[in-house]
Formats: sequence, C-alpha cells, structure tokens
Amino acid sequence: MKHLRRLLVRFSLLFANSRVEAELAREIGAHLALLEDEYLRQGMTPEEARRAARIACGGVEQAKQLHRDERGFQALSHILQDARYTFRQLRRSPAFTMTAILMLALGIGATTAIFSIVEGVLLRPLPFPDPDRLISLGDVTEGLHCASCAHSSVTAPDIRNYMRDTKSFSHLGGYRGRLFELSGVGEPAAVNGARMSGEVFAALGVPPLLGRTFTQHEDEEEQQVVVLSYGMWRNRFHGDPNILGSKILLYRKPYIVIGVMPRDFEFPLNPGHVNQSEFWLPLSLRPQEFTAGSAASWNSRMVGRLKPGISIEQAQSDAERVARETMRDYPAFMRSIRIHAAVTALQEDTVAQARPLVRTLFSAVIVVLLIVCANLAGLLLVRAIRRRREIAVRLALGARAATLLRQAMVESMVLSIAGGAIGLALAAVALRVGVSRLPQTLPRINEIGLDWRVMLFALGLALLTGLLCGLAPAFAAIRTSVNETLKEGGRTGTLGSGHARLRSALVVVEIAVALTLLTASGLLLRSFEKMRDVKLGFRPDNALAALYVLPQQRYRTQSAIDEFTKTLLNDLEQLPGVENVGTTSFLPAGGNNWGIAFTIEGYVPPKGAGLNMASMSLVQGDPFEALGIGVLRGRVFTESDNAGSQLVAIVNRKMAERYWPGQDPVGKRLRRGMPETSTPWMTVVAEVDDVKLGSADAETMAQVYQPVTQTVASEGVLASVGELSATDGWIVLRTRMPPEQMEDTLRATVQKIDPQLPLYQMQTMEHAISQSEAPRRFNTVLISSFAIAAVLLCVLGIYGVIAFTVALREQEMAVRMALGSRRSGVILLILSSGARLAAVGCGLGLLGAVAASRFLRSFLFEVSPFDPAVLALSAIAMLLLALAASALPARRASGTNPMLALRGE
Amino acid sequence: MSNKEKESIQLLQGTLDLIVLRTLQTMGPQHAYQIATRLQQISDRLLNLNQGTLYPALVRLEQYGWIQGAWGRTESNREAKYYEITKAGQKALKEETQTWRRMSALVERLLLEES
Repeated sequence: MKHLRRLLVRFSLLFANSRVEAELAREIGAHLALLEDEYLRQGMTPEEARRAARIACGGVEQAKQLHRDERGFQALSHILQDARYTFRQLRRSPAFTMTAILMLALGIGATTAIFSIVEGVLLRPLPFPDPDRLISLGDVTEGLHCASCAHSSVTAPDIRNYMRDTKSFSHLGGYRGRLFELSGVGEPAAVNGARMSGEVFAALGVPPLLGRTFTQHEDEEEQQVVVLSYGMWRNRFHGDPNILGSKILLYRKPYIVIGVMPRDFEFPLNPGHVNQSEFWLPLSLRPQEFTAGSAASWNSRMVGRLKPGISIEQAQSDAERVARETMRDYPAFMRSIRIHAAVTALQEDTVAQARPLVRTLFSAVIVVLLIVCANLAGLLLVRAIRRRREIAVRLALGARAATLLRQAMVESMVLSIAGGAIGLALAAVALRVGVSRLPQTLPRINEIGLDWRVMLFALGLALLTGLLCGLAPAFAAIRTSVNETLKEGGRTGTLGSGHARLRSALVVVEIAVALTLLTASGLLLRSFEKMRDVKLGFRPDNALAALYVLPQQRYRTQSAIDEFTKTLLNDLEQLPGVENVGTTSFLPAGGNNWGIAFTIEGYVPPKGAGLNMASMSLVQGDPFEALGIGVLRGRVFTESDNAGSQLVAIVNRKMAERYWPGQDPVGKRLRRGMPETSTPWMTVVAEVDDVKLGSADAETMAQVYQPVTQTVASEGVLASVGELSATDGWIVLRTRMPPEQMEDTLRATVQKIDPQLPLYQMQTMEHAISQSEAPRRFNTVLISSFAIAAVLLCVLGIYGVIAFTVALREQEMAVRMALGSRRSGVILLILSSGARLAAVGCGLGLLGAVAASRFLRSFLFEVSPFDPAVLALSAIAMLLLALAASALPARRASGTNPMLALRGE
Repeated sequence: MSNKEKESIQLLQGTLDLIVLRTLQTMGPQHAYQIATRLQQISDRLLNLNQGTLYPALVRLEQYGWIQGAWGRTESNREAKYYEITKAGQKALKEETQTWRRMSALVERLLLEES
C-alpha cells in the first residue's frame, strides 16, 4: 500500500518538477538560515557561519540531489526532458516532422493491417477450448491428385467406422456442409447449414448461448432438431428470446430449434465469409448413404478431440488401423481404391492453404516498412549532420556521449510512436473497409481485427522502428570529432565522408528492395493479364445462371421431377428474350471441380497412374448453346437421348487427347467407376471445347457430359435403390438482351411452376468469372500498391540524398562554374551521382528478385519468375525514376550563382 | 577530527526512518534542523551525519504518507518547514518499532551465544 502510494506520488512529480524544486530550495534555504543563526550565536563571523552551515549540511547541491534521487524517477525525468526538447526541435521544422510521421504512419499502418490478417488467420488459436487437442481426420486416396483434395475427406461408412473403432479420441464426429432451402420464416431462401454428428459439438466444447446442442443419441435417433447460429438468430428471428421450441422448415421438413450458439462460434471453418454455416442439424446418416455409389463419395469431413496423453502420431496409427479394416470390407467395385488415414491438427488443416498468400503479403509490407525505416534514418542523419556544430559545442562543454545518444534515440522514438499511433488509426480504417474485400480463399475472416495483440504488435513495431532509425544518427552524433568540426568553422564544404557513405548505402538498399517488390508486382500483373487471356471455353456475355434444388418432400418421384424440369425448360424457351436454355450440374467458373472415376475402353493406364478422374456434368436442354461451349465434332444431346435409349456422353478436348490421342473420340466408349465396377458403357457422341470450371488460372480437368435422364441407368451397381436424378441444377440462359434484365423474368417463370421454390446464386456469367478471378485480383492489387508505395518512398529517399549532397556541395559547384564549368556539366555531374546509386541498387534489386522468385512462383501463372521483360522494365523504370529524382536538385545546382554562393559562407 | 570519525557509527539501513518518526512522535512537529540537532544530541555526537542526508528520509516518509510538512515560523521568527507525524505514521511507527525490537533482540541473542 505504502509503496503504491509512493509510486503514484513519484510518478506525478515527473510533471510538477519546477514547483517541487522551488519548495526544496526554500526549505534548504530556511535550514541554512537556522544553522547560520546558531553558528553566529556561537561567536563566528557571518562569513564563517555561512561556510560552516553549508558544511554541516553536506553541500547544498548535494543535498538537493539526494532529495531529487529519492523523490522521483531520475532516468524517466531525463527522458521527459529530452522529449520536451525534441518537441521544441520538431516544432521548429514542421516539414521534416510531417514527412517523417506520415511516412511512419503509412509503414506501420500497412504493416499492422496486414499483421492483423496474419494474426487472425494464422496465429490465433482456434476459438475453441484447448484448441491444440482438436484434430481433423480423413482419408487420403492413393493416386488421386486434384486441387480440391487439399483437405482429406471421408465417406459415410468411414464416419461410422472411425467413430466406432478408433480409441484415441474423446470425441469424434463427421460433418458435411451444404445449401438448404429454408422456409417457414420470411421468404424461402437458400441458407448454408451443416449436418453434424452429435459428437462434433462435444468435441468442439463450446457451450450454446441459449438452450442446448444435440447429442449423439439424438443424431442416431434421427431427431429433427436444429441449432441456430447467432447471426441467423439475430437476422432472421430478430434475436427472439423465445426462439427455443419454434419450428423452421428445411427442404420443407420441420425442425425444432433447440439452441443458439454464441456470436463467435464458427464451424466448419470454411474459407471466406459467404460460406459460413447458419445452423447445424444432426447428421443422421440414412441407410442409402452406406450403399452403392454413396459409399464411395468422399463428401464429408471429420473432427475430433484427442484423448488426454494421446499424441497425433498415436491417433494416426490408430486411425490407420481402422482405415485398413474399412478397405478390407470394400465392396467389389471399390477394390482398387487404396486409402490412408490422415490425422492433422485442426488449426493446421484450417490455415495451411492460406499460409503462402498471407506470408507473401506480410513480406511485401515488411519491405515497405524497411524502406520507410531507411528513409527516416536518412532524414535523421541529415539533421544530425546539420547539427554537427551544435553537437560539437556541447561535447566540448562536457556533454556525455550517453546523453547525446539518449537524446537522439528519444527524438526518433517520439517520431515513431507518433507515426505508430496514426498508423494504428489508419490500420483500423483500412480493416473496417478492407475485410469485406478479402478473398474468399482466406479462412477465419471474422476473426480479423485490431485486438490487443495487434495493438501490442503496432507498439512494438513503432519502438523497433524508432530504435533502428535512431541508431544511425545517434552514432553519427557521438562520433562527431569536436576538433575537426569546430575547426571547420562555418565551412560546410568538407563533409564527414562516413556519413555520406552511410546515406548512400541506405538509398542503395532502398532501391534494391523497392525494385524487388516492383518486379514481384510486375510479375503478378503479367500473370493477371495472362489469366485474362486464357480461353475459358465458353462465352460469358449475355449468359445468366441460377441454381435450384428440388425439395424431396414435394418431389418424391422421378416423374414429378421430370415434369418440373420439362415445364421449366419449355416455359423459359418461350420467353421472348431467351435464345437458348439448358441445365447443368456444374457451372463454368463456379468453382466446383471435383471429379469421379471412369473406365475407358481399351485404355491401359501406365503403372501407378491412379484413377482416371474426370468431372461429370449432368445436363438437360441445350446448355452447350446457352453457355456458348464450342462443339468440335459430333452432335449435342437431343430429347431422344433419354433413360430408355442408348447411353451417350460428350467429352472435352483434354479428355479426348488423353485417352484417344490422335483419334476421333466419337464412337469410343467409357463407363463410370473402376474396371471392377459393374457399370454399362456410354458411347461418346461429341467432343467439345475445354471449359474452365474453376478460375481461369486453374488447370482444366478432363470433362464428361451426360444427359441427366440417363444418370441412374449409367450408374449400374453404383445406383442406390429408388435414386432420383435431376433434383438440382444450374439453369443457364443465353439472352438476347443484357442478362441482368432477365433476372426477374427468370424468377417469375420458376415461381409460376413452384411458388415456394427459391433460386440460389443468380448471376451473370461475367459476374461468375469476376468472382473466380477475385483471389488473384486481390493479391495483385495489394502487392502492386505496396510496390507503388515502396517506389514512391524510394524516389523520396533518392531526392533527399541528392538534394542534400547538392546543398553541401554548393560552394564546390560555384567554384567549378566560376572556373568555367558549364551548366550542363554540373547537371551531368549530379545526375551521374544519382545514376550511380540507382545502378548499384538495381543490380542488388535484381539479385533480390531472383531470391524472391522461390517465394513468388506459386502465385504466378504462365509467367517465369525470371521473365526478362518484367525484370528489364522494372529496372529501367527504377533507373528513370532515380534520374528524375536527381534532376530537380541538379537543376537547382546548375542555377547556382557563383558569386552569391562564394560570398554566402 | 580523525579520532572522532573512528568512533562514529554508521546508520543502519532503514533506521533513519524509525528515528525520524520516533522523534516527531515524542517531540511534536519539528523542522529538519531541529530533527538533525535532536539526532546529534541523542547519539551523543556518536552519529556523524551531515544534515543533508535527512532530506531523502523526509521525502520518503512524506511520500509514504507517514509524515506531513507545513510551513511555519520559528521562535526567532525564521520560516521553516515543520513535519508532523500522521495517523498512518503512528501506526507504521508501532509496527516498525516491533520489528526493530524483534530484530535487535535476535541480534542480541546471537551475540550472547557467540561470546
């Protein structure tokens, strides 16, 4: 208690120094007076009494110092003194102060904003209790290489087997996200939800905000219950506190609301923020999900919590044992599939894919910050050089080096902390505006924000920046040679060459890193351009698409479904604005590009090639015309290709070239599944262009199209009993007018057939493409803006160095001109000194670009990281900018009036 | 002088606080000079301390809230800062005194055993 009180008093005294000092002087004065009186009484002369009083006191200044040491924090009060001194200095040069602080704010702000992404996405533990015990479990299939296989997935039988037979997990469950038709509250809508084992809630360990979550028992009992997300509860139910027990309709089946999860609960941890689950219902696997083709659909995932004391490796071998048993029980048609169990930490599983992007952004922004530091150090160095005489005088008068050092550090700290504070504000603004524009490939976007860790980071960054920037000028100050500087008198002609070298080195480094960033940005821009040039395989103009899903509750029979589809296609075709219409299960540029296995007649795969995977689009009507997919040879499907007729298929060029190189694919045969799977043959009737199903920079898959009416017949043993086809699909229209204008007509037409049926994700194909380009656009734009910032800062740095050199060499220039040197000669002299710096910097920068190539390669598309055009252009641009930056001071130097300059000193 | 210095004792860490508090308690409000004089009297001039060293102790005690200073006039009509012991100071003195007694008793015992 007494110490706390004392601490507060001492601290407050930092700011009331002068008052306390006056009081102390008064007190000691009074003390001396009393002592003097005493000595006078003892018979001393006044002179002697004064002396004796002071001796008895132990010296006035010493006594005061003892008092000061005891009452306050001396080191701190010195720093405050320095800070006040710094403020005075900075106020005297507002241009310098503004430049420095703004530069720092930019650097620290950008770095903080990007760091908050790094922190929210990569570093922060998952928002569950004991997150490092959470794992994701799935199968890795041998010989399967595809983009979407980055996450290991499981089948319905896998979920059952892993849950039943593993022993390493205290909780383990399966889940599967999908779109649901939600009705019974407001307009029917498509909402993302997840089917989950009851064990998943238990594994995650997050208690609900309201009500309860469902149990494994309820899951197995197939209870129709649902737990809502906080967002859904707030937005669709206006935060109704009596929500528990009410009903919602999912695909027109009633579910009872039993709980609401807290605001920050998010699961599955999907990338982006549009795919977040709004509710959770029991997985309740149905019998048909264990049979036929469904048993071979790796469409679910698993999450679990390790038992105490069990390591990931132990869990892995435990799961592997179960996977082997699962394989042993595979039906005949799956014999050639080989799987391995994979247990990964959930955190790793969630963020692994985002890591390269986030890391690249962070390195880019650190480069910008380094340039800021170099610039600031340069500016401070200039100030230090300008103040050399002052420093020399102070040294001569006995100032200690430590004091000078401290003062220089305080100055750069004051600047960097001010810059850091503004930077933090900038970062807050940037995040508020920017988070919604982050690419949908980043997970955990909702967790990005300025929390205390980010704040701490910004503060640490500011201090570190201040320290780094302060070092150079600080040592320049204490290395000042008193004799030399004072002897020089007013003449500034000879400059400590050490300082000049240091400044040049700083600028060279700046140019080098800026060039590295500039080439990176150039390469990304080239990649973007290349992506734009990619043939998409379809015509996006005047094309409109929307997804529908028929609820099983109403469309129980195949004939009801077929009736709907037929009416839909017919009605749409009748519309005046519509040229062609069709449906397809995969939308080009829609991002769905998973595949199924095929067996090709007469094709012997090379050893170890794995499965023959291709995407399978189920179509109806004329989607080829509607999407503008070019038919290379053969015929498109007609209405006579139906369930009863011969099975037919259309393949894309890639498929044809892989399996029938140099031959006409029309008339060739293929079938679903592996060789041991008993399925009927389909005959190829046409070859079409390669269509980009995902983004344009992703690899094109082998593609097969089939009439949706022939699906069940072609599945053979893969078909389950009573399987329905054509229950969902994308409607695609080619319109005669701008496609946006057709949206309402399309919606109205569908509602005429089924008033309750919502249309999902209605979009023009142009929009779909733009969406698929978004991730690349994002990193290209961001890296390019960092590059621009870096280059601008760099130009500023070059300008500063050259201008300062010119100012110092003014006399020299004057002498040169007085002796007959021409203006152009002076300009050339200055320019060449700028060009020398730039040339060295560019050389180093090109080396830097080569070093960065390893980093960048994964983000480039059809561009080599050593693309000569980009490297050359960037280097030339940098050189020209450096020359431009030196041109201004050069002109000023050539305008020197020799007489004035010589007289001026 | 040199003879005297040999005899003079150094003040134990923390005892100055105790002495000042005790002085103020028994003598009422005192200024620094009075406290210093009193110290020298009591110690029979064994305690050689220059009066400036009193100030850190006064600052410390004031910052603890144990004493409080106020300006006043001496008999000779000189101004001086008088320090007065506070309630918290009284309480602290009691505790410190006990601590000191225990401590000195312990040292005493130790020295007895040794000899």
